[in-house]
Amino acid sequence: MNLSLTVNGAAVTVEADGADTLLMVLRDRLRLTGTKEGCTEGECGACTVLVDGVPVDSCILAAHSAAGSEVQTVEGLADRGGALSPIQQAFIDNFSVQCGFCTPGFLMTLTALIAEDPTPEEEWVKAAVSGNLCRCTGYTTIVDAVMAATGQEVAR
Amino acid sequence: MTTAVGNSFIRPDAEPKVRGEAVYGVDFEIGGTLHAALVRSNVASGRIRSIDSDAASAMPGVRLVATAADAPKILSGLALNDQPLFASEVVRFEGEPIAAVVADTLVQARAAAAAVVVDIDPLPVVATVDDGVADGAPLVHEDWASYQVAPGHPDWPRYGNVCSEVVVDEAGVDEAFAAADVIVEDEFRADRQYQAYLEPKSATGMWESGRYTVHASHQYHWSIRNRTSAALGVKPSDVRVIGHYMGGGFGAKLDVGLEPYAALLARLTGFPVKMINERSEDMITCNSRDGGVIRVRSGLSKDGKIVAREYLVDMDAGAYAGDTVYLTSIPVYVADGPYATGPTRVRARAVYTNTTPTGAFRGVSGTYLYFALERHTDNLANAVGMDRRAFRLRNVLEDGHEMLNGQVLDDSGLLKEVFEAVDELAPWETLGKGPNQGVGIAATVWLTNPLPGSATLRLEPDGTLIVVTGAAEIGTGAVVLGVRQIAAQELGMDPANVTTTMPDTDVQGFDGGAQGSRTTHIVGRAVTEAAVGMRERVFQQAAKLLGAAPDELELRDDGVGVSGDPGRRVTLGEVAGAAMFDGGPITSSGSYGTPAIKYDPDRATGLLFSTFPTPTYHVHVAEVEVDPDTGGVTVLRYLVAQEVGKTISPAGLMGQIQGGVAQGLGYALWETIQIGDDGKYRQRTLESYRLPIALDVPRVEVVVLEHPVDTGPYGAKGAAEPPIVPVAAVIGNAIADATGGPITRIPITPEDVLDALKHEKGTR
Repeated sequence: MNLSLTVNGAAVTVEADGADTLLMVLRDRLRLTGTKEGCTEGECGACTVLVDGVPVDSCILAAHSAAGSEVQTVEGLADRGGALSPIQQAFIDNFSVQCGFCTPGFLMTLTALIAEDPTPEEEWVKAAVSGNLCRCTGYTTIVDAVMAATGQEVAR
Repeated sequence: MTTAVGNSFIRPDAEPKVRGEAVYGVDFEIGGTLHAALVRSNVASGRIRSIDSDAASAMPGVRLVATAADAPKILSGLALNDQPLFASEVVRFEGEPIAAVVADTLVQARAAAAAVVVDIDPLPVVATVDDGVADGAPLVHEDWASYQVAPGHPDWPRYGNVCSEVVVDEAGVDEAFAAADVIVEDEFRADRQYQAYLEPKSATGMWESGRYTVHASHQYHWSIRNRTSAALGVKPSDVRVIGHYMGGGFGAKLDVGLEPYAALLARLTGFPVKMINERSEDMITCNSRDGGVIRVRSGLSKDGKIVAREYLVDMDAGAYAGDTVYLTSIPVYVADGPYATGPTRVRARAVYTNTTPTGAFRGVSGTYLYFALERHTDNLANAVGMDRRAFRLRNVLEDGHEMLNGQVLDDSGLLKEVFEAVDELAPWETLGKGPNQGVGIAATVWLTNPLPGSATLRLEPDGTLIVVTGAAEIGTGAVVLGVRQIAAQELGMDPANVTTTMPDTDVQGFDGGAQGSRTTHIVGRAVTEAAVGMRERVFQQAAKLLGAAPDELELRDDGVGVSGDPGRRVTLGEVAGAAMFDGGPITSSGSYGTPAIKYDPDRATGLLFSTFPTPTYHVHVAEVEVDPDTGGVTVLRYLVAQEVGKTISPAGLMGQIQGGVAQGLGYALWETIQIGDDGKYRQRTLESYRLPIALDVPRVEVVVLEHPVDTGPYGAKGAAEPPIVPVAAVIGNAIADATGGPITRIPITPEDVLDALKHEKGTR
């Protein structure tokens, strides 16, 4: 069954089963492996992408429910080789990346957060990422990155 | 110029990670790859009657169903050869591999694996260590006595379900107890903890003319090489292991996982074979941190000195010995730990059970061993009516402490400084004073893993330096920050001009893996060794270019200059270029492993970790508030004082402390794997396995102490592992203080907190 959607600004049509998830379409058909599969049960948030601007766990979203939608993945946050988005740059500058496997999911959730609230408070940032697990950092540097990316004072 | 060592630099691997370009083990795939899934036992103990793969073999895309009949008939293991690749007669834990299915796609392989019908007669289940050591317990391994130890090991005491026993029994223990004014006895228990790295275990195997190649996302590539070759009955050099970006490991990716299966299936099919664990499968079969039971008894004098100690530990090995035969050594180093104890007796046993084999998780058994030790220390202080911090300082180690293995710690008096340092962050007396609040303190002495490593430096004509090392970058920054910054410092370079490699066992020298905080210390030191030879060559070449004597030269700003003459300088690139046709490319190699440490082999039996290398000293303090209605715990403040020798990367170090404490909080308060009487895990997904989220974790307050050690690069000791070790102890002590009740288990659940609140103050 054909599925048409927009991914990172480009219109694409792919073959997808009814049982296929959006994550399977992104990783296996479109080879966009920046989006990670951590649990396939919607718990870890590593697979977070934006569907029409809203962060979703793509591992439990039926691919066909994204038909006609604008999907943005981590690969779409910056042009290949081009300037990074402010939150991407802030993750680098604030040492918010360790193993990095959760990073794409965090970046997508936070991109949506910043679009909605350009100067989020620290507690609100923590609440916003409550669906994203990071096992390495203990989260503070991730919060710092949001503060830096939104021009707010970094607590440390 | 900012010195490369001691300052924070951007991680070169951060950009590919934030762009989604980094290729992890699960992302790696080459043309022609087939996919495989394992058929695993659905019971914890039983006898296999039959395996019917007819239906599975007929399913779409299926290429092969393999069982024990297709694998070499070999038992292998990390230290004890007790484990087959596939169970063939009996199964010993839920999730034990019985067969593998290879198909064109992963979806097909998983569907066909689910269609393999395995008929198993249930056998009695040894579900807990108490069951395992009970009189008349069923034997998890009826043939335990016939098992061979892996090459290079002398055998050790083991019997029945006890796969390792370590004993220390100092002279005069019973007499010292008899003479004590007060005796305090406690029992503590800890559940297992799942490493919960975000990238599930995976492997891709290939086979070409008698040699295996394994693409891995792993902490210890040389261990995979050894373990895969042993399981498949070939020489280690017949296996090549190539590393990729790794989505966390925390100890679980030190021993082999899927690698030998992927390699075997590649040989059987003639195609590359890729395997990925599903999350639930990963969790249920992961070599999680062992749970354990600790019984600790101490004798005290009226004036608050510890005069005798007994420390008895049973750890849950699971169905195969794995790491636990090493881990039984750890209680020997924790039984006295930060305090002088008088004559001491230790017995540590690793016990086979019909559960998933346990293994290494950051801080290994130390997390619960210190929980027991430091909860007990609080109880000792209370028993003699002393302030808990003052009691610790009364008994804290002095310089020259002799450990139970006879090893002498020259610098153990540093602990007192670390106690003082943490108090500067917030005075002890001021914390935990509000309603329902409490404060906890705990100290830890921890080690730096001594396993050797190596590095080859390559100076390139474009002015860059490549550090060729088999060290694995697990995500801590130990390679991309620590090792790289040390290399830059050694050659007077900007770290931006230094790159590091990914592990490849065909290319680099042995590396002991990303474990026990060893990488910056050991591989950093290998780099400083390599730099000696490189500087010599660089100066010789530069001397020719500059018309100066080598001893007039100095390294400066990615170049070589004549000392005291700013105008006479050549770049390192020019030096490398000139050398190319004057002696050949500039390379230099170095190796390092911690030198042998003096100890007394007669002090303990069964001690496979015979020494405690390059010790570091830690004191943590936490202030908590408990909710008397829900039993919930909020960590208000968390303070860390840590002795590191020398900080190489401040940002890297802070990341390890904050992250280690967060994992420790999860362990102390939320994460648990409970095991039913059927030997099966009760928590089976990340939904029921409750990991810390951003809202749970306070910003850790840190003071770093630096007492450089001669053996480390710039004096650096290990730093990344220990921040997790005292956390459960500190939190337990703080909750006991807040509630006035006993806290004896990890994790400390809301029910435990509510129970503790029911105790009258002072009865804990």
